[in-house]
Amino acid sequence: MEKTRALKGLKYICITITNVSGNKSRVKTRFCYTQLLKKRLYKIKKDFLMALLQHVGRYSLLMYQTFSVPQRWKLFLKQTWIEIEKLGADSLQITLIISLFMGAVMTMQIQMNIENPLLPHYTVGLVTRDTLLLEFCSSILCLILAGKVGSNISSEIGTMRISEQIDAMEIMGVNTANYIILPKISGFVLFIPFLVICSMFCGLLGGYFVSLFTDLITPSTYIYGIQYSFVPWYVFYSIIKSVIFAFIISSVSSYYGYYAYGGALDVGKASTNAVVNSSILILLFNVILTKILLT
Amino acid sequence: MIQLEDLHKSFENKDVLKGISTIFETGKTNLIIGQSGSGKTVLLKCVVGLLEPDSGDIIYDERRLASMDKKERTFLRSELGMLFQGSALFDSMSIQDNVLFPLRMFSELSDSDKVKRAKYCLDRVGLNDAYSLFPAEISGGMQKRAAIARAISLNPKYLFCDEPNSGLDPLTSIKIDELIMDITQEYEMTTVINTHDMNSVVTMGENIVFIHQGEKEWEGNKEELFHSKNQKLNEFVFASKFFQKATDKIYKE
Repeated sequence: MEKTRALKGLKYICITITNVSGNKSRVKTRFCYTQLLKKRLYKIKKDFLMALLQHVGRYSLLMYQTFSVPQRWKLFLKQTWIEIEKLGADSLQITLIISLFMGAVMTMQIQMNIENPLLPHYTVGLVTRDTLLLEFCSSILCLILAGKVGSNISSEIGTMRISEQIDAMEIMGVNTANYIILPKISGFVLFIPFLVICSMFCGLLGGYFVSLFTDLITPSTYIYGIQYSFVPWYVFYSIIKSVIFAFIISSVSSYYGYYAYGGALDVGKASTNAVVNSSILILLFNVILTKILLT
Repeated sequence: MIQLEDLHKSFENKDVLKGISTIFETGKTNLIIGQSGSGKTVLLKCVVGLLEPDSGDIIYDERRLASMDKKERTFLRSELGMLFQGSALFDSMSIQDNVLFPLRMFSELSDSDKVKRAKYCLDRVGLNDAYSLFPAEISGGMQKRAAIARAISLNPKYLFCDEPNSGLDPLTSIKIDELIMDITQEYEMTTVINTHDMNSVVTMGENIVFIHQGEKEWEGNKEELFHSKNQKLNEFVFASKFFQKATDKIYKE
């Protein structure tokens, strides 16, 4: 009914326009195509918005269910400790390795790209330090951890969902979101500042090794550079950002895992979606937080 | 006793349950039988509250599920025990911890009493040598028994089993059936079993509900089952040639 009415309206508009212009067929065809394209785009936009709203709504409800008082504090604390070990401590190794090498590479790149003789040599240390503190140790590290921790969380919860373990808990009367998700979020959010500080230290150490084992820069100049004009706020800024990113990674991945359905293939899809969307949200919030905290 | 009143459930315009009304009696093993895709699992999930029916009501001993608030539902859930098709044991926990889980969450017993209760339940299902093993380290039959032990750990009033024999050999299936029957009588529970295994039907069918394409087609017990003139029921019951021959032989004798 609505479709017929819309088509009649479209036809009427086409006829009116052609009568005004005089050039019948060309204008009519062009106008109809534009209308169809507009309609299609409107539908795509509408579908996208509806899907987005649906995700936001379901995510909000899940978080509301998650952030309630634990049914058993003893079990919650035990689970949180396990998650700190699994999500946090187990990520320490990769964090240290990546930070060390990134710090070393960054120092070399900066030294090799500084051609201006007016710039002092200690600039290498200064730029390395600020890049590490401002971006690498929070944003880039969290993007890397979104892959490791995010896929771990979503695949674990997704497998629990499809093997009916979550249903079994619900039958017992357990608040599953609170029991499964809250320890993961709190464990990872609590441990991330430690990872960030270790990453800062290792990144700077990587640069120091470059100064020690190559002739690009002397160790004393590098150390002077990393101490020069130091802003302590950058460390806190990095930690604040990483805490928010850790929340995004753990909650978004839990959301995709919790609502997974089907089989092993769907758990894989949920895992991929979790990593992709966490990464996008991290990048988006990086811009927002930088604007709020640094300007 | 659990009473179902005109239950309807549909998924995306597909009617899965079309007005099912029946009574599951206390102290009996109540069976829901039917072909794959007939709506048995959806019915069981509606009864335990994992799915919300579109219309109709479920009455647990004069307590209507639809009019219960969150607190009452949580209390009711502490009275339910469920055995899932794939056992649904928690992978990250040992067998003993699996049985201890509901006790740790809801029981006010001391820690030592909880462990005693878990061990008693595991001994009751014959798993006294598997306390410290993990679900991946035991057989399918043992997993089912562990799941039964977990389901009965809180002394439930209602026990639900979704295809308890799937994936098990006939001998282990019989053992599981016998265990469920014994436990039902021992604890005076209302047990509802979802199955399409005819051996289980013959062993345990004290009250049988046959579902066909989302509708209740027939209701009775195992004695009445073989004398029924319901064509759809007979097609389902005598689908196996082995079973057909066996019953023919009995009738001839």
